[in-house]
Amino acid sequence: MSIDRETKRYLVWWLAFGVLMCLLPLGVGPGTLRILIFAHFLAMFAMSWDFLSGRTGYISFGHPFLIGIGGYTTAILSFRFGVPLYFSIPAAVVATMVGGTLFFLPALRIRGTYFALVTLAFMEILYQLTKVVAPKVTGGTRGISGLESIVTGAVNNYYLSFGIMFAIGVVLWLLIRTRLGVALSAIRMNEEAVRSTGHSTTKLKLFAFMVSAAVSGVGGAFYVHYIGSIAPRGMFEINFLFTILVAALLGGAETIIGPIMGAYFLTVLLEYLRPVMPGMERYLLYGGIALVLYVVRPAGIYSLIADAGRKMQEWRR
Amino acid sequence: MALQILIQGFVLSGLYALIAVGFTMIFSVGRVLNLAYGVYIMLGGYIYYAALQEAGLPVFASFILAILAGVTFGLLTYLLLVRRLEDNPIAVEISTLILAVVMQALIVVIFGAAPKTMWPVIRGVLRFEGISVTMNILLATGVSWIVLGGLTAFVRYTHLGRAIRAVSMDRKGAVISGIEPSFISMVTWAMSGAFGAIAGVFFATFTQLDSHMWVFPLIISVAVVIVGGIGSIVGSLIAAHIIGFVETITTTLIAAELRGVSTMLLIILVLLVRPKGLFGRAEL
Amino acid sequence: MAGPLLEVRDLRKSFGGIHAVQGLSFGVDEGETLGLIGPNGAGKTTVFNLIMAELKPTGGEIWFRGENITRVPTHERVKRGIARTYQVPQPFGEMSVGANIRVGMAPDDLWKLVTEGADHAAEAEIGRSVGFSDEQIDTLPSELAMGDLRRLEMARNVAVSPALLLLDEVFAGLTLREIAHISELLVEKKRKDGLTYIIVSHDLRALAPLVDRVIVMSFGAAIAQGTFDEVVRDAAVREAYLGQ
Ligand SMILES: Nc1ncnc2c1ncn2[C@@H]1O[C@H](COP(=O)(O)OP(=O)(O)OP(=O)(O)O)[C@@H](O)[C@H]1O
Ligand SMILES: [Mg+2]
Repeated sequence: MSIDRETKRYLVWWLAFGVLMCLLPLGVGPGTLRILIFAHFLAMFAMSWDFLSGRTGYISFGHPFLIGIGGYTTAILSFRFGVPLYFSIPAAVVATMVGGTLFFLPALRIRGTYFALVTLAFMEILYQLTKVVAPKVTGGTRGISGLESIVTGAVNNYYLSFGIMFAIGVVLWLLIRTRLGVALSAIRMNEEAVRSTGHSTTKLKLFAFMVSAAVSGVGGAFYVHYIGSIAPRGMFEINFLFTILVAALLGGAETIIGPIMGAYFLTVLLEYLRPVMPGMERYLLYGGIALVLYVVRPAGIYSLIADAGRKMQEWRR
Repeated sequence: MALQILIQGFVLSGLYALIAVGFTMIFSVGRVLNLAYGVYIMLGGYIYYAALQEAGLPVFASFILAILAGVTFGLLTYLLLVRRLEDNPIAVEISTLILAVVMQALIVVIFGAAPKTMWPVIRGVLRFEGISVTMNILLATGVSWIVLGGLTAFVRYTHLGRAIRAVSMDRKGAVISGIEPSFISMVTWAMSGAFGAIAGVFFATFTQLDSHMWVFPLIISVAVVIVGGIGSIVGSLIAAHIIGFVETITTTLIAAELRGVSTMLLIILVLLVRPKGLFGRAEL
Repeated sequence: MAGPLLEVRDLRKSFGGIHAVQGLSFGVDEGETLGLIGPNGAGKTTVFNLIMAELKPTGGEIWFRGENITRVPTHERVKRGIARTYQVPQPFGEMSVGANIRVGMAPDDLWKLVTEGADHAAEAEIGRSVGFSDEQIDTLPSELAMGDLRRLEMARNVAVSPALLLLDEVFAGLTLREIAHISELLVEKKRKDGLTYIIVSHDLRALAPLVDRVIVMSFGAAIAQGTFDEVVRDAAVREAYLGQ
């Protein structure tokens, strides 16, 4: 792979970010780390959404469906059948990718607003089905709790979640900078024209769906083992979808870095507000912020910072 | 059994038609999907509840207040959000979804998270051959037919109605013929809010009030648009009946828990087989 | 090579009750320039859509280099050497001119798409070959004039190195100078790369010097063909254009 100058400069930033986050446990307590762990999982989900929807314009309202498949697969395999985690987690990722194919089929025929609705329907179906189909296996409405954890303690979990998120982030970010990334965003702008430049858009889309599903699967599987439980409520819910969407959009869709920033911002803000606003008020507040930002500045926080950076450079000159 | 399915199917479909009409209007005139539509339904229910059961106002006044709230909120959605994003249906879809979750949070903040039971608009049960139907749901079905009939007449016989139809069929053409499309949009959004609120009162008496209640009616509305295709009132009515009957049949014959699943499967099936809806792109 | 480069046989396309193309047959030889003219709604763009597999024909066959490609999907046809421009230019709106060209140059191979970096020099070269200045390579389509947008489509096509280029209304919305530039460009490309063209145009004056042969369409069928001069003198053609 050829890496150009700009990419190298950015990679230095990535590295700095990685080093900083690795040193963080030296300075902050386990409470803060636990908050950041949630940010890391949210970032994985938001990046997964971004790679599919931010890039190709196929807006998914069903990411909880994918995440849930990953979570349920490893939960059921490990808890009900005693399958070891090093097998159940990869199996969860594969299952999510199969689910991603289900997602992909409608994308062959419809796009835009209708596609989003079909994916929403997928999520709702799974919500209903986990409650009634084979409740002995899925745990029905209550779900499954008491799942095995991978590592224990805030510090270990912090490093684990950060490591996965960081790896996913760097890989996705490198991917969107390749010609493949360019072709994927061309699909968002004009799919027909992409075809008439000699690309099989079916192949490109399938790739985007598979990558997005795999990331959701990894995130979902590690997430349920971290929190130790899974249930239809909280998983296949519009509020969860909302959190993912808002993290991606707030940070800035189509950039991968944006969703990471959005996830940190959202989680930290949420925690910071917890003492003042214990309940739904927080959703009110950050939903409100997200709406205003979305209407005024659709490109998100990342673009605000990028602009500020550019201004700084101009100013220094 | 057959009779029960028939009766239940009809009343349920009537309610669904009422729920969907305000959503379909927006879609056929503005070509955008308003995912905050479920909020008008929720708002209608809660305002009616607050006026009637908390403030002790009479039924009629409570109804009017609910409708006013729907109209106001419909207009606000359009003016503050949709108009700014109008050329981009996906942005509208995303932002109205966020708005819906925000409003859900607001409802919890104001009314609390515990579900509330609403009194039926009218009391009484009609019994017939061992099947019982509440007067309330019969009234809902009646109102639904009146609203749809009224809307059809409005669109056919009034100047404003014809203008709305013109815009829904051909925006550019309508502009040329001297109709102000942004005024038409405002009227449509106000009407959509009103219909949502009316439907909300009945829907809430049919189930109960809680902060998640906007999701199900929204899904029904989306299903009606998808199954019926864009625009036609008759198409929506037929679609509402298909959905209502499919649901009644699944819940009575297969399993009551599958209530939502059949509708979802129907949506997916229709989108895959006939993306334009069963009745194509007809006029309003 | 024996036989025409592209041949359509009894091509048909209906949209519901509208018969946009009804039983059209013609061929283009390698290196030839064919004009396709006809009044609005005659079905010219539909023919292009059919040749590119952007629409499925209701009936008939399409052959390219002696192969029946009627069932071949769009991107495979592009790989075999057919490309088109659109009547209304369809740039990738949020990408620079260079990135637009890059999409055209990218191979239809996921592995290569990821591992092979962009060749900025080659992009600039293609841009230059259709008349873009080096500064314009970094501009967005929204900043371009109509003439430049048509150039951009040409560039994207050049990037896929076609043998046959379908040009839909290449002169529409252009100033006289832009028309002259595009015409020059077409002649130049043909001389260098031996391209074959099918050109749809309402601007007959601009079309006349370029074409070897013209087909006139009306209501989805060919009503006349021959050299430009023969065709414009044809009574049926005058009737189709001026009649009603
Ligand atoms: N996707 C479509 N759906 C329905 N009808 C279509 C479609 N595309 C074209 N038509 C109809 O087919 C006929 C031929 O259209 P076409 O665009 O091919 O004409 P044209 O010769 O390119 O005209 P123009 O000179 O205006 O570009 C017209 O009546 C048009 O309305
Ligand atoms: Mg045309």
